[in-house]
Amino acid sequence: MRRLVHAALLTLALLIGAAPGQARTLVYCSEGNPESLDPGLVTTTTAMSVTWQMFNSLVEFAPGTTDLRPALAESWEVSDGGRTYDFTLRAGVRFHANAGFTPSRPLNADDVLFSFLRQWQPDHPYHRVGGDFAYFRDLGLAGQIEGIERLDDRRVRFRLKEPDATFLPNLAQAFGSILSAEYAEHLARRGAQAELARAPIGTGPFRFVAYRPDVAVRYYRFPDYWRRSADAGQSPIEGLVFSITPNTAVRLTKLKAGECHVMAFPGTADLDAVRADPDLTLFSGEELNVAYLALNTTRPPMTDLRVRRAISLAIDRRAIVEAVYGPAGTVARNPLPPSSWAFHRDLPEPAFDREAAARLLAEAGFPEGFETDLWFLPVSRPYNPDGRRVADMIRADLARIGIRARLTTRDWNAYRAALYGGAPTMMLYGWTSDNGDPDNFLNVLLGCRAAAPGGANLARWCDAGYDAAVLDARRTDARETRTRLYRDAQARFREAVPWVPLAHTIVHMAARRSVRGFRTDPLGRTLFEGVTLAD
Amino acid sequence: MRVGRKIALVGGVPILVAAAIAAAGWFLLAEGERARAGALLAARVYHDLTLARLVRDDSVSARADARAAIETRFFDLTARAGRGLEALQNQARTRSQAERAAAARQSLDRYVARMRDFSAVARENDGLIAEMGQRANRLTDLAEQARQRQQASNVDLAWTMTGKVNRLRATREVVAGLNAVLAAAWQGALARQRGEAAARSERTRLVHAGRDLAAALRATSRETEATEAEGLTASDPPPGDRLTEWGERWLKIVTSEQRTLDDAVAQLLAYAGEANATEQATQNIGIATLKLGQRTAEALARRDAEAVSAMLGEGERLSASASALPISPLIQSDMIEAIDGWRARLATTIDGLKRQNAMIAEMDGLAAGLSEAARALNDDAVEDADRFGTFLGRLLLAGAAIGLLLGALVALAVARSILVPLRQLQGDMIALAADPKAEGLSGTQRTDELGDIARATNFFVTEIGRRERALRRAKDQADTALTDLHQAQDDLIRAEKLASLGQLVAGVAHEINTPLGIALTTATLVRDETRTFQGLVAAGTLSRSRLTHFVDRVGEGTQLLCANLTRAADLVHGFKQVAVDRASDERRSFDLDVWFGELLASLQPMLRKGGHRIQRDVPPGIVVDTYPGVLAQVVTNLVANAVVHGFAGAERPGTITVRVSAPGALVRLEVSDDGGGIAPEYLGRIFDPFFTTARSRGSTGLGMHIVHNLVTAKLQGRIAIESEPGRGTLVRLDFPRAPGGPERPGAARWPSGAEAR
Repeated sequence: MRRLVHAALLTLALLIGAAPGQARTLVYCSEGNPESLDPGLVTTTTAMSVTWQMFNSLVEFAPGTTDLRPALAESWEVSDGGRTYDFTLRAGVRFHANAGFTPSRPLNADDVLFSFLRQWQPDHPYHRVGGDFAYFRDLGLAGQIEGIERLDDRRVRFRLKEPDATFLPNLAQAFGSILSAEYAEHLARRGAQAELARAPIGTGPFRFVAYRPDVAVRYYRFPDYWRRSADAGQSPIEGLVFSITPNTAVRLTKLKAGECHVMAFPGTADLDAVRADPDLTLFSGEELNVAYLALNTTRPPMTDLRVRRAISLAIDRRAIVEAVYGPAGTVARNPLPPSSWAFHRDLPEPAFDREAAARLLAEAGFPEGFETDLWFLPVSRPYNPDGRRVADMIRADLARIGIRARLTTRDWNAYRAALYGGAPTMMLYGWTSDNGDPDNFLNVLLGCRAAAPGGANLARWCDAGYDAAVLDARRTDARETRTRLYRDAQARFREAVPWVPLAHTIVHMAARRSVRGFRTDPLGRTLFEGVTLAD
Repeated sequence: MRVGRKIALVGGVPILVAAAIAAAGWFLLAEGERARAGALLAARVYHDLTLARLVRDDSVSARADARAAIETRFFDLTARAGRGLEALQNQARTRSQAERAAAARQSLDRYVARMRDFSAVARENDGLIAEMGQRANRLTDLAEQARQRQQASNVDLAWTMTGKVNRLRATREVVAGLNAVLAAAWQGALARQRGEAAARSERTRLVHAGRDLAAALRATSRETEATEAEGLTASDPPPGDRLTEWGERWLKIVTSEQRTLDDAVAQLLAYAGEANATEQATQNIGIATLKLGQRTAEALARRDAEAVSAMLGEGERLSASASALPISPLIQSDMIEAIDGWRARLATTIDGLKRQNAMIAEMDGLAAGLSEAARALNDDAVEDADRFGTFLGRLLLAGAAIGLLLGALVALAVARSILVPLRQLQGDMIALAADPKAEGLSGTQRTDELGDIARATNFFVTEIGRRERALRRAKDQADTALTDLHQAQDDLIRAEKLASLGQLVAGVAHEINTPLGIALTTATLVRDETRTFQGLVAAGTLSRSRLTHFVDRVGEGTQLLCANLTRAADLVHGFKQVAVDRASDERRSFDLDVWFGELLASLQPMLRKGGHRIQRDVPPGIVVDTYPGVLAQVVTNLVANAVVHGFAGAERPGTITVRVSAPGALVRLEVSDDGGGIAPEYLGRIFDPFFTTARSRGSTGLGMHIVHNLVTAKLQGRIAIESEPGRGTLVRLDFPRAPGGPERPGAARWPSGAEAR
């Protein structure tokens, strides 16, 4: 039967002429489902990487670096003592089209206004569509921004209440992606506002085709992309697929089988095998990240500082890093990775002292220990390749001081939602910096603003002194002042132990040899703009 | 109107009618021919259109590569049909036909345009179908690639799984080893509390457990840890807490690793199943697509838009399942894209198909209309042709009838217009014949031939009258001439009579001429002497001598005169009776003997001249009662002829014999001579008037003619003549003694032969 059909098709093909060359599809075996396709709502590098293929922000970090460069804003002026930013938009930037929508105009100031106002203004018609833009709030932008104004078609002014050193780097984050106001209007007219996140329209190098949870996100190259690739002469990839493959071993198997061209986060145990495979390339890059065990300071018994300290003392982080991270990991002391300029090197490594832990626990009124929940990551993350194993080991350590941890998890999005919702008591999580700024760790993850429900401060820890230091550091560009303030903050963090910092990692990506132009990114972005496939 | 024209009319009307019929017939035939040609053309157009329709049907069901040729054929046919329709339009006889042909042409143009659209869409659809085929092909390629990759992956997976399972087994060994070591350590500690002996054996057990653990750790490539384990278990005494701590730590690590490996193996197993499911799904999608493609191709071939639309729905479901199924992401996009592309093209194809079907329907409608138009044109033309034929027949019939009728009427009219004047002419002519003096023919004022005839007849009648008058005049003249002739004859006869009388007179004159001549000369001399004497007397010169002489002379003269004159008187007296007889026509009874004596005596002077002589042989006593003058003239003429002709040139004097005999009632008189005779060639003409051989000698040629006439007419007798040259001539007369009745009207011979016998 097949042969017959083959013959028939071959005949047909011969009649028509040569069959077209195979469309170049690059498959990226990603580690998990994106929590959203709306760049304003994403908080994980997984989802950000999904959205980065489709969107651009006004300013962006050059791939592989934390250097800012113009993107959709070709230039900007800062005035009024750092409180006014006037962006001039790039001309002729085109938005994608999809089955239901074809843009009638290029990017203009309305799109910028729409993209930010929907996150900023609670009464914006799109403010409650799909989420509440907690990250925008966590960053403090909601309160920081005084006004966003359209100066003309191609110029937008942001006015801040006070100077903000993180403003530009913040705009370079995924939430700063510019959406099409025209598309939003188009959808609003049809009452299909939710489509904004389901069938995104952006200006990025790839246009969205389809997303099927647990299966794939699919894109096609956007031929009208505003940025011409330097090696435009080479045949660019036509299709891009994020093949959602949570298990590391399976990802590697797929990579080896050629089912994917790039895989996220090969397992520590497999790195040597990857290095040894002539068909594969291992990309390693230091990432500004941290893996931590957050202790929900609002849930008993974690409300007790002694309990938190006991837990911190009971966990053999070195064993965890050695066993799970291997050479790719370093034991974390602080929320900040050691490569951050604000890293407080003078703080000693947190001690591993089971007896002290037991003592503290007894002091805290738990001589027999207690039972609690420990949520572990269901997927490998750049900062944590094997959440379950880390959790296993933590549970074993805690068991030794009498704490019985119930291991709990959900699928990735539910897990994230649960964590942001504040339900877990102990939870494994991690962070990859979105902009490289210390603020992006210390403020976003531990600031009081982010401690609100839905915020990124999973420990729900709010320390006035800490928060003041972090916020002060943000208002100035002076590195020394900021360093001092951040050191202070890190010291306060160590005192209060809202987390047990576990590790900082070197992120590994494995790719097939045919992949050209791929690189790791310190901000955890997996970018495929400019990536090609050699024959 | 002239008769010629009328005849021309009579002849011309049928000819004209015939010509008109012929012209009409020719026209009708030409029209019929045209109609028939139109019918043929229309039939050809119909044929072309029908063929074009068939060709179009062929084209509809043709393979893509055969279509061009078929379409070319179609366009050729329709172009021909178009030319045919154009020709039909041009030669259409009626406006409606022209309009119909024009409408048909427009329809044809639309038809052709539709066909062009159709073939454009067909090419488009061919391209689309080909592209669909390519996409389906691509899909199977992709499925095949996926299958091959999956096979490779399966091998790799098996290898990975084996590695993982081995690692898991080894890890379990480590876990078991760690547990054993920890148990041994606990047991050793307890044993030490109990006593040395037990402690030793436990010690050995710990060492063994440590070695086992080390082996197991080495199996998991943990050399350092193995050495540590050996060191920790081998030291004596065992390092109690440190060993336990170490063991716990590693147990934690390895247990978690074991779990991870368990997970990994489970995931790989799940993936293996999933991968197989993926492959199966991929193949299923491929096969489903192929089947769908085949069914679609069949439906397309059937041009079943509805069925193809159903395929579109199936394609959509296929696309959905392709995106839902865990198909290799490497090809899932391609597959989905291939299916979606296939669907998109199918949708376009369906659209094209629908358009094509609509076009086919439209074309069918157009073609039906066209065929109908062509057929109608054909019918029209045939009907025309038939009508022309029928019309021609009727025209011929009616034309012939009308021509005949018209010809007859015209002929009648013309005949009447000719006959009436002719009858008039006839009547006129009869009348004219009856009365030549009557009024001339009527109708001369006519300008036609009848006028000509009338005029000619008039002329003829006039001419006849004139000629009749001329004839009458000529007759009158002839009568007059005849009268004159008779007069002349009489005059001639009288002259002849007078001539013979003259001869007599001449003889007489000759006889008396001498005395009278002497007398005259004497008288003349006397007169001259007298005159001379008178002159002398008048002059007074008269001499004696002279007187004497004169007297002598006169005396002498007188004597002479007397002598001669007496002689003359005697002569006249002698001829007096002869002359009377000659001069009178009176009848009398006389005795021939006496009478001849006297007559012949009178003829003596004529004979005397030549010395000829007459012998008389007349018995006495023959008395006749007849005309002595006539008889005298006859005898005289005969004697004169003998003298003049018979004795002419004779050297010797001739003898004329007159012999009379009277044996019966008739008296025979024969006058013969011994002269030269008459030549036989003249003998027949001897009695013709004016025939003479001696005209030069003053002969009139009437002598014998008169003789003949006098004998036959006056004497009522017969005359015959016999003559031989050199032997003389005999003329024989037989005449009654007394002619009875009136004088015969003249058996005049004019001219005639010598038939007097």
